[in-house]
Amino acid sequence: MSEVTQTRISDTVEASGSSECSILLSTVKALSSWSRKNSMWPLPLGLSCCGIEFMATAMSRYDMARFGMEVARFSPRQADLLLVAGTLTYKMAQVMTRLYDQMAEPKWVISMGACASSGGMYRSYSVVQGIDEFIPVDFYISGCPPRPDSVLNVLMKLQDKIDRDESYELTLATPKAGAPAELAEQTVLGGRRHGPPVALATTDEHFGQQGPQRSMVRGRKPEESR
Amino acid sequence: MDQVPNSCMVYTAEAPAGVSESVKQALAPFTVQWSEHPEHGGGGKQAGWPGCLVSGADWPKVFQALRDGAGFELLIDHTAVDYPARTPERFTVLGLAANIETQERLMVRTRVAEGGSVPTLTHLWKSADWSERETYDMFGIAFEGHPELTRIYMPQDFDGWPLRRDFPMQGHNRFRD
Repeated sequence: MSEVTQTRISDTVEASGSSECSILLSTVKALSSWSRKNSMWPLPLGLSCCGIEFMATAMSRYDMARFGMEVARFSPRQADLLLVAGTLTYKMAQVMTRLYDQMAEPKWVISMGACASSGGMYRSYSVVQGIDEFIPVDFYISGCPPRPDSVLNVLMKLQDKIDRDESYELTLATPKAGAPAELAEQTVLGGRRHGPPVALATTDEHFGQQGPQRSMVRGRKPEESR
Repeated sequence: MDQVPNSCMVYTAEAPAGVSESVKQALAPFTVQWSEHPEHGGGGKQAGWPGCLVSGADWPKVFQALRDGAGFELLIDHTAVDYPARTPERFTVLGLAANIETQERLMVRTRVAEGGSVPTLTHLWKSADWSERETYDMFGIAFEGHPELTRIYMPQDFDGWPLRRDFPMQGHNRFRD
């Protein structure tokens, strides 16, 4: 069984032999990995110049769309890949952890450039010395900023990783005891992580009780103005 | 910290050349010490801004007199400098006001000790709001009467005042350094 789950969908197609064959044999795992890796929706968190290089990667000269990644989503609910591109300050780290927490699993993180990976040249009181202080990172890209080639290289490596990814497992979830009768017969295709959940830096843990974020532009009553 | 120079300003009772009569007239009710920036001996209209040193209590009144009496309608800059060796008033708070019509500028300074406070200018210029929050955030100087004196750059629970000269260059990151 374990051998079957290791099968890649490309191997399956080759194994089927004749091109006239209309039956495709595969596993759900291989099929889902194949569809996941070819439809990554990145959430670009462009914080400085790396964001510009990421835009260049998405534009026609380098054309990220060749890998099915052109649908940059600015809503974390719709994104699979958090691409942190640029200098992260501690103040912005709260935003980043919130974005990461809002993304639905399965999700991946790329740390793009020297600043996101290690703080870069900013060894300062305000700059996070590597985003992995807060969230787990799948790939780091070196460079200041990295060339689009490097970004594409890592995106392809990420596809390989998803293809052989063991961290997410497709499960047939059965309803919990006490569920409504109409759900009793139903099985749901879901996913779960192997092992214990990754210890995440939550906002409260790192920043204390702060209440809601203050808006930069505050409403002011007319009589308070000049 | 001892190597940090003290203020290089030389103050005199006489207003330097280039200060217009209307400014002198507007500031007549106040005790003012005058200076000219030693590195800019004057020349162009924007070089060698004259400056003056006033007391903390006079600080908002001087700006009000400049704005309403001498036509200094614009607050260009508003920040502070730290001279840690100077006692007891280690900070110089400064505001740069300008008259747009005559292109005059005047750098008004006042001194404040650590833990002290300076009256706010927000009732005169709305633009003083964020710059006073910035000065508070970076130096820990309080502005009396400010509508909402909170940190503007750093996270609200940040510990320390980064632009003070005794703030460490390294080692302040909480998790890794």
